[in-house]
Amino acid sequence: MTMIKAYILIKTRVGKLESVLKDAKKIENVESISVVTGDVDLIIKVGVSKLEDLMKLTDEIQLIDGVKQTTTHVIEKEISL
Amino acid sequence: MISIRIRRKYLFYVVAILSSIISSITVGLDTIITSRMSAFYSPDEVSWIFGFSAFFIGFLISTLIGSFFSIRLNNRRIGSLIDPAFHGIRLIKREELKYHLFAGMGNAITTVGYFYVLSLLPDPSAVTPFYRVVILYLLIVETIVEKNAPTLIEFQSSTIVTLGAILGSISITGDIEVVPLAVMLLIVNPGWVLLSIYQRKLKLLKPDGKPNDSINIRIWNLFFTTIFVTAFILIQDFILGTNYLAKSLEGSIRFFWLVALTMGITFFSYVLYIRALGMGKASITEGVRASIVIFSIPVTLILSLFIPIPIPQSPALWLIKIIGIILVVLGIVSFALTQVTAYILVRATPGTRISDLIENIWNIRGVESVAAVAGKYDIIAKVRIRTLIKGYERIIRRLESIPGISYFEWKSVLKEWENV
Repeated sequence: MTMIKAYILIKTRVGKLESVLKDAKKIENVESISVVTGDVDLIIKVGVSKLEDLMKLTDEIQLIDGVKQTTTHVIEKEISL
Repeated sequence: MISIRIRRKYLFYVVAILSSIISSITVGLDTIITSRMSAFYSPDEVSWIFGFSAFFIGFLISTLIGSFFSIRLNNRRIGSLIDPAFHGIRLIKREELKYHLFAGMGNAITTVGYFYVLSLLPDPSAVTPFYRVVILYLLIVETIVEKNAPTLIEFQSSTIVTLGAILGSISITGDIEVVPLAVMLLIVNPGWVLLSIYQRKLKLLKPDGKPNDSINIRIWNLFFTTIFVTAFILIQDFILGTNYLAKSLEGSIRFFWLVALTMGITFFSYVLYIRALGMGKASITEGVRASIVIFSIPVTLILSLFIPIPIPQSPALWLIKIIGIILVVLGIVSFALTQVTAYILVRATPGTRISDLIENIWNIRGVESVAAVAGKYDIIAKVRIRTLIKGYERIIRRLESIPGISYFEWKSVLKEWENV
């Protein structure tokens, strides 16, 4: 089974970060969630088995109240410890 | 629905500390067994006999526990409560064999040495602190293997842990034993390093694309360790004309239930330890496990009710021991809590080969993962360092010298959750 992984960079509306986080933690197939500084607020790493699931997942994130913008970066190759 | 219930960092501490509580209990049991065995055999013999029976009986007991864990309950294996990656006992895969051989050899060396020390020095609270010095060895090995040079903080805290361990261990009778100390430092600790590094590699290995589980790793480790211990004993018997193998078999039968008890408990301690290894770096896991020093004192006190162990009478000795423990705990806390994580989002100049670029970024120390991605950016790297200054000196500067990067952004991570 191949695994498709992706980073999703998320911008949230001011004041909504806490509630977006709460909802994001409930989503399936999320590997990690990081709150970061800079022009994006959240970086979420996900792992799904097919591209269609990735679409469903991004849909789910976009439906969270307070999410202003998402940018999905599908991982083509990864080296890690 | 799977939700991220617990921050990985905390789960890591829970697992590592549980493992150390359990193992301090087994050290107590080990001491009782060694002292019982000493009534029948000489110290040299005890270490080999206990070593052999521990692994031989340990393998049997762990396989039994493993089979019990393989039972399905509500469509889930019972063992998945302890390690979610567990899917029943299985044979080892070819890619695991090499690591298992090294881990088994490490375990054989460290355990026989440890039993030898116990037979010379029947006091768990004096022996266990020396195990903690292993953190220094691990730091050195990680520097070489995981391309991670120790920072001042790592150096400081491991020195504090080591000094604390020494203070904690010399105090109980007031003197320092040279032979056990040398065996601990030269035989037991290097063996442990070998064991923990290869167990970590095994845990991070993904046979068939699925994460490896700690229960199978432990069972197979016992199998290979038994083989190594038997081989060591046979070589000795052959060269020195001793009769250790026969005595070991006899001892295994005579002390079957006691050894089975301690190895049964040890099984859980190890499974938790291997899980913790899969979550954190080996030196940090060791650091947390240093809390065993704290639990070894009540264990020693309880034990002294059953077998003769000299308990310090003077308040000065107690003071030294407590100072040692405070140092160990302080060292661990500063070690484990100082860390900075960041993402670096990179855009490449057109005409650059991305595969070369990710190799170049991967070679920077402190880089935990690099991914070539499709989207607004070309590469997303994750870095983990001790201080922000290191982030500039070690990462930004190196990044700027790599050709082919047109733009990058540093995103410091404020808080992080990981699904475990």
